[in-house]
Amino acid sequence: MRRSILATAVAATFLLATGCGASGSDSSSGGSSGGGTLHVYAWAGEIPDSVVKGFEQETGIKVTLDTFDSNETMTAKLSTGASGYDVVEPSQYSVQQLIGQQLIEPLDHSRIQGLDNLAEKFRNPSYDPGLKYSVPWIWGTTGLAYTDACVKEPVTSWKILFDQKYKGKVYMLDNMLASYIAALQVTGSRATTTDEAQIARATDALLAQKPVLAGYNSTNYAQLLSTGQACATQAWSGTSMAKAVQSDSNVHYVLPEEGGSIWTDGLAIAKGAKNVDAAYAFINYLLRPEVAAKATDDGASASANEKAREHIKNTDALKNAAVYAPDESIAKADFLLDPGPAIRHFQQGWTKVRAS
Amino acid sequence: MTRGKPRVHVMDRISAWLARGVIAFLYVPIVAVVVLSFNASDVTYRWTGFSTKWYAELAGDTDLLATLLTSVEVAVLAATLATVCGLLAAMGLNRLRSRFRGVFMAGLFLPLVVPEIVLGVALLSIFGALHVGLGMGTLVLGHLVVTLPYAALIVFGAYGSLDPSLGEAAADLGCRGWTAFRKVTFPLLRQALAAAWLLSFTISFGNIVMSTFTNGVGSTTLPLRVYSLLKGGLTPEINALGTLLVLFTFLIIVCVGVRQMRQVLTGGNRSPQ
Repeated sequence: MRRSILATAVAATFLLATGCGASGSDSSSGGSSGGGTLHVYAWAGEIPDSVVKGFEQETGIKVTLDTFDSNETMTAKLSTGASGYDVVEPSQYSVQQLIGQQLIEPLDHSRIQGLDNLAEKFRNPSYDPGLKYSVPWIWGTTGLAYTDACVKEPVTSWKILFDQKYKGKVYMLDNMLASYIAALQVTGSRATTTDEAQIARATDALLAQKPVLAGYNSTNYAQLLSTGQACATQAWSGTSMAKAVQSDSNVHYVLPEEGGSIWTDGLAIAKGAKNVDAAYAFINYLLRPEVAAKATDDGASASANEKAREHIKNTDALKNAAVYAPDESIAKADFLLDPGPAIRHFQQGWTKVRAS
Repeated sequence: MTRGKPRVHVMDRISAWLARGVIAFLYVPIVAVVVLSFNASDVTYRWTGFSTKWYAELAGDTDLLATLLTSVEVAVLAATLATVCGLLAAMGLNRLRSRFRGVFMAGLFLPLVVPEIVLGVALLSIFGALHVGLGMGTLVLGHLVVTLPYAALIVFGAYGSLDPSLGEAAADLGCRGWTAFRKVTFPLLRQALAAAWLLSFTISFGNIVMSTFTNGVGSTTLPLRVYSLLKGGLTPEINALGTLLVLFTFLIIVCVGVRQMRQVLTGGNRSPQ
């Protein structure tokens, strides 16, 4: 659900690479591994330095932390079978894909303590029932952002992004599945649908929307809002949006009444991990409420750990909808799932939309 | 004359303004990076006051500095390998007088015309098939593929323009093989080799596409890190890092430039002692 210029190409690579490398669990890893080192591969900025340092100090295990910019990049590396990583941090739909391709190990729950610290909605999620493969770490939402400087009416619906009134002043996220969340929900479908007719209807909505848009943007939309170059944008919650909301009282982030969607990035153990003991130790460490609180305090993300709330010092973040969306607003938000073979309908529709 | 003069004048002015526009286009973003690195705000796009706090932040950001170190290591290794390989290729192919010469040359320069993303995909698939662990080694190999053609181009040009009689003269004077290379060829090629090394270093340092496919455990480069930070929004800390890099580059240019300027002024005496 996140953007990447390289995503498509990388996705193509892992299709190629899985053919030859999926069984390489016994291969030698790059760099030194085993012993006292743990190799972690995560989204940039999502596992704060303070967490890594704290873990190293307490356990004496040395951690290397590499970062990726999209789930597809990470999957491509794992699919070579010799990535050398022990712990990876996939998003929810990516967890489904990694399970399907057997690139992550099932978790042994007897070795994990603290799963009941997680918030209710993450304990048995649709993408990984019973958390057999992943442990949610942080979460966020896909919603709407707007600025009072330009929009003089209450904003409750995706419809504002389709409104002629704001022609040339609205942006959609430059991401296929994210764009379809808005288009599917505004045409009365659920974001998780795989029905061809519903997807076709959403495609028509996106085609009709195109003349209204100033563009597709998934990098600096918060800046465009804050500087008045945009009236409303589709947006991801998280650091850049949270900063815009906090530093500019005109900027707001909401989940639309149609639902919006919710994402989560969790921890999983890579197939063939060399240091499984350290991987479990790392997961257990991150499940501690006082450690999970650092995801918010030092990383400006929302923690999936309910008990972490009382340890969070940055109480502004708890009230910032672009970090912690209020409970009632996410009641209708679905986890965006791996569309499986239906991805074809999305891709064909999206190609049409972008080419029009 | 009187009719022609104003027209030339207008053209001059147009081209002068065009030149100013181009220079502004090239340098305004760099100036903006430097200015905004002293921004007190949390976001790069709004100025709230002067501060040097982002430099302090940068100094304490071990993650980011580790990626900088990785980038420098990879760039030094890739540039050195590319320059050595380029030199060896130039020496070898220059002697080769068969029709295969063209084939080898084409092979050497092929990565220039093949899109980098294709090379990246291909390398990743190969590494996967051979169960080669991704890491520093594969990253350097990937960068070598990208930088070698550039290094080779420069060295080929310089080597080709060497007077072949120099080698013969050296042999006449009892200087052969390694000694001739060390005392005659290498000093003559020194500047071309330095240019090849610097260009390769720069290309490797800024590379993002090849790195995406070939990096692995413990080898996240600076461009990859910055690119993946985009999602969360950049802070002026990145500007501070950019400013230091600009300053560093500027120093190198001044050093190299001053040396070359001195050589030009002293009559271009570049012959070995």
